[in-house]
Amino acid sequence: MPAPAQIRPAQAAVVRRRPLRRRTRWVGLAFAALPLAVYALVVLVPLGQSVQYSFFKWDGVSASTWVGFDNYVSFVTDPVLRSTFGHVLVLIGFFALLPIVLGLLSAALLTRAKQPGMAVYRWIFFLPQVMTTVVIALVFKRIYAPDGPLNQALRAVGLDSFAKTWLGDFTWALPALGLIGTWVTFGFCMVLFISGTSAIAPELYEAARMDGAGPVREFFAVTLPGLRGQLAIALTLTITASLRTFDLVWITTHGGPGTSTLTPAVALYKAAFQNPQIGLAAAIGVVMALLCLVIAVVITRVSERD
Amino acid sequence: MISKMERAVNYVVLTLMALIVLFPIGTFVTSALSPDRSGKPVGIADFQWDNFATAWRDAGFSRAMAVSMIIAVCVVAGQVLLALLGGYAFGVLGVVGDRVLFPIVLLGMMISLEAIIVPLYYQFRTLGLTNTLPGIILIHLGMGVPFGVFWMRAAFRALPRSAFESAEMDGAGPLRMLRSMAAPMARPAIYTLILLSFMWTWNDYFLSLVFLHGENQTATVALGVFQGKYVTQINLMAAGGLIVAAPVLVLYVAFQRKFISGMLAGAIKE
Repeated sequence: MPAPAQIRPAQAAVVRRRPLRRRTRWVGLAFAALPLAVYALVVLVPLGQSVQYSFFKWDGVSASTWVGFDNYVSFVTDPVLRSTFGHVLVLIGFFALLPIVLGLLSAALLTRAKQPGMAVYRWIFFLPQVMTTVVIALVFKRIYAPDGPLNQALRAVGLDSFAKTWLGDFTWALPALGLIGTWVTFGFCMVLFISGTSAIAPELYEAARMDGAGPVREFFAVTLPGLRGQLAIALTLTITASLRTFDLVWITTHGGPGTSTLTPAVALYKAAFQNPQIGLAAAIGVVMALLCLVIAVVITRVSERD
Repeated sequence: MISKMERAVNYVVLTLMALIVLFPIGTFVTSALSPDRSGKPVGIADFQWDNFATAWRDAGFSRAMAVSMIIAVCVVAGQVLLALLGGYAFGVLGVVGDRVLFPIVLLGMMISLEAIIVPLYYQFRTLGLTNTLPGIILIHLGMGVPFGVFWMRAAFRALPRSAFESAEMDGAGPLRMLRSMAAPMARPAIYTLILLSFMWTWNDYFLSLVFLHGENQTATVALGVFQGKYVTQINLMAAGGLIVAAPVLVLYVAFQRKFISGMLAGAIKE
């Protein structure tokens, strides 16, 4: 979480800039009033209401009844809803671990010299980041289609028995979706880590080599510790993204076949807007928000520990 | 200095990774240009450029693209205004209670849409703001305040202190200082904010899916509907996809540096 790191410089500044600041802090509040009001109206108030809704059973039309923690209980006990956590764990493997490992590998393989043409590669690696998920979903629907490039390639090399309707298969739909996430994220991780390694002092590498460290030891002793901050950012972003997956699943599989690719966000959408169990939807949202917060705080804490 | 060998290895690694990124997009583009319904790739001579016109017409993109554009432009304009006010207040003037207020604003970067979407929908329904453009614009603005304020605050704090002090000596009030000095000096950061904010708004799917339908459908949602109807016409579906992706892609081609540095620097935003 960025908050603690952000507070420190601000406090230091208050001390240093007191003469200008003291007179202006009330004016500052007036300037900040509009953004704060919009933020409170759209984010803070509904956040509180989410918590409130989550303790009620409500179908959106008739009167609501207080049910205490029942909605939270059904989120963790209902087999279908509980399975969404398992799906998220699989997605974390594909959205977070795989891209980060690939990113680290490439950052380690690339020597830290500035090469001409790097800008072009960076442009390509970031391309999936600027494309809307709807289009990415369509791109891969095509790739995974029964007559799509993937199956064609398998048939061409004689692996006909492996060809399948990837997104309609109970076993393969989730990993197939996961690989889309890998494709979207690995370029971002790569660029993040490459920029990170170029900031590591060259002396550290020289020292490691003087000590007779091989490339593997060098990676674990110098590169990996040097990338700590970038790793924390990448982990936080990708893990929360796996937890929040919606667009991709909604457009490709709607959570199916069966419920084999159901994610918490898709379950929330269905509970909120399709067969209204609004209290349950709110409870799912609250749990997701808490998990995101916990993930971010834990990762930041661990990465800052020395 | 690195050896020729090392340099070659670098390029092989980079090129391989780049091909993995480009291949799926490449097949999509060739599908979009194919005269064949199944999207089978064809030679340049047989490219069927009409697919874009057909998809545009059949998916009703004129309306949907206009809606997306109106939303995106309004959100970007509003976002910049809110970010300038908030960033200037927290970064330059100081705010009463900022030790509490600023962390609360930053917390917003961690709050996912899922956590607020349910009450937001039912409250907006009571207010008659669902399925209206002002309604969704307001939500985009509120969700964007934390990043905007964080971003512009950092930009203003990077400006030289002396500029503010001498402007104050000249008797400039806080509003005039913001308008005639701070904002123009922070122009690069504002441009990045404009690009990122446009991209996030244009690419949104979840919010539009929940809040807008029928006449008010955005391009991303219209594309989702279109692909559901045209499952057998891969070439038109792909053409439609490229149409929807085009505005952001054009900006990305033109301002790639700002996009990449902005996304790396703003990576702490969700």
